[in-house]
Amino acid sequence: MGRSWASMVAFEAFLDDGGIVEVDDDMPDAYRQAVFAFIEMHANSELMGGLTERDWIPKTPGLRHKMAVLAKTQDEIGHGHLLYMVAADMGIKHRREMLEDLFAGRSRFHNVFHYRAKTWGDQVAISFLVDAAALATQQAVFKNCSYGPYRRILKRIITEEGFHMRMGEERMLLIAEGTEIQRALFQASLDDWWWPALQLFGPDSQPDDVLLRWHIKSERNEVLRARWVQKFAPLLISYGFTIPDPDLVHDPEAGTWTSGPIDWEPLRRTLAMGGPDSARRIADAAANWADTGWVREAMDHAPERAPGPAGAAV
Amino acid sequence: MTTVERVRTAIASVDDPEYPGISVVDLGLLETLDVTLDGHVVVGLIPTFSGCPALSMIANDVRAVVGSVDGVSSCDVRWLGAPAWTVDRVSDEARQAMAQEFTVAVRIGVEPVSCPRCGAPTTETSLFGPSRCRAVHSCPACSEVVEVMRSSSGGRA
Repeated sequence: MGRSWASMVAFEAFLDDGGIVEVDDDMPDAYRQAVFAFIEMHANSELMGGLTERDWIPKTPGLRHKMAVLAKTQDEIGHGHLLYMVAADMGIKHRREMLEDLFAGRSRFHNVFHYRAKTWGDQVAISFLVDAAALATQQAVFKNCSYGPYRRILKRIITEEGFHMRMGEERMLLIAEGTEIQRALFQASLDDWWWPALQLFGPDSQPDDVLLRWHIKSERNEVLRARWVQKFAPLLISYGFTIPDPDLVHDPEAGTWTSGPIDWEPLRRTLAMGGPDSARRIADAAANWADTGWVREAMDHAPERAPGPAGAAV
Repeated sequence: MTTVERVRTAIASVDDPEYPGISVVDLGLLETLDVTLDGHVVVGLIPTFSGCPALSMIANDVRAVVGSVDGVSSCDVRWLGAPAWTVDRVSDEARQAMAQEFTVAVRIGVEPVSCPRCGAPTTETSLFGPSRCRAVHSCPACSEVVEVMRSSSGGRA
């Protein structure tokens, strides 16, 4: 057993001093639960995101982009794998339980994976806008994260997500400089995905948000969201696209771009598994898990690999 | 410095897109470098894995830095089919940086892997990690989740 703290006050003072909590520390239960729930949702989102990418492997245009989608699928599933391990080590749920909860619609994943990617334009919008939003939230966690095992995994995840963002930028530029048909396709996707991407940051942080107090998040949701709008609104407008926000305000003097009022109802629906594509996505993930059971079975009974013991993953 | 030296230094400034701070030269990707008298450069690189999605990005980055070197008139970057990349090509500095900065270990052949955090031998959880060149291990001593860079043979006996 690692360190322990006499009281929550002492624990919070440790965190405020920049202390890093490790898995064998006797951390307060509330902290353990909050960190676990956060990592579990992140792991679920990586898995659901990876499955979406996988759907696009056969449909992605061009061999080079197809190769990138293949690799991105492996990245996302791999990130999920690492995160489920870190979450399981916290001793609250086994990995199998987390997966069962996900497939039964009992645990959360990011709002953007409750929508359907219908066209290649949607995939471009996702890799350009949504990946950037997800990366911004992860960077804000990594910056100051008090839970050591998660912080170390995040460092690797962030470098790979940064690489995805470069691919997203490349895809966006290609379509933005393409034909009128390509540009119209992307505009339609922008209309569909702008708001879900923006809502990924969540509503304004509450004053009593323990994730901020315990140094899991380092920035308030509204700050990250505003920064994202500030970056992407002018960029997309400069390429001649229209932001689907009639109340978007540009202050040329201050150089700021501010979004109009946000309707949070769509986000609430996704949190309740009632998004436009929630049911299909969850059923699809569950079916995928069932269909690949034979692979796990085979790995479980594979002969030991030299040189080390090789516990097969479940 | 000769043009070849300047070109080599320029290539060494290109980081792997998945490991910021670690150069493609330290990862052992640079295989051949030819500079003609009139400043035409041909760079021969080998991929860690043939399906690596970063290939075009790396080639573009190399072309860009080499193109701006004094005395270079043009630059051609080629991905070579042989020799095959193995982890033996990763420099000691890059190995240390990966362990310290990214908690990534490098597996040489079938040698046991040491946890970058506590030094204990790790166990393999999955041969398949987030990228073609990495497996996932965990450390029985400190519970760290460790990614392990491996050759395409997978570090199998």
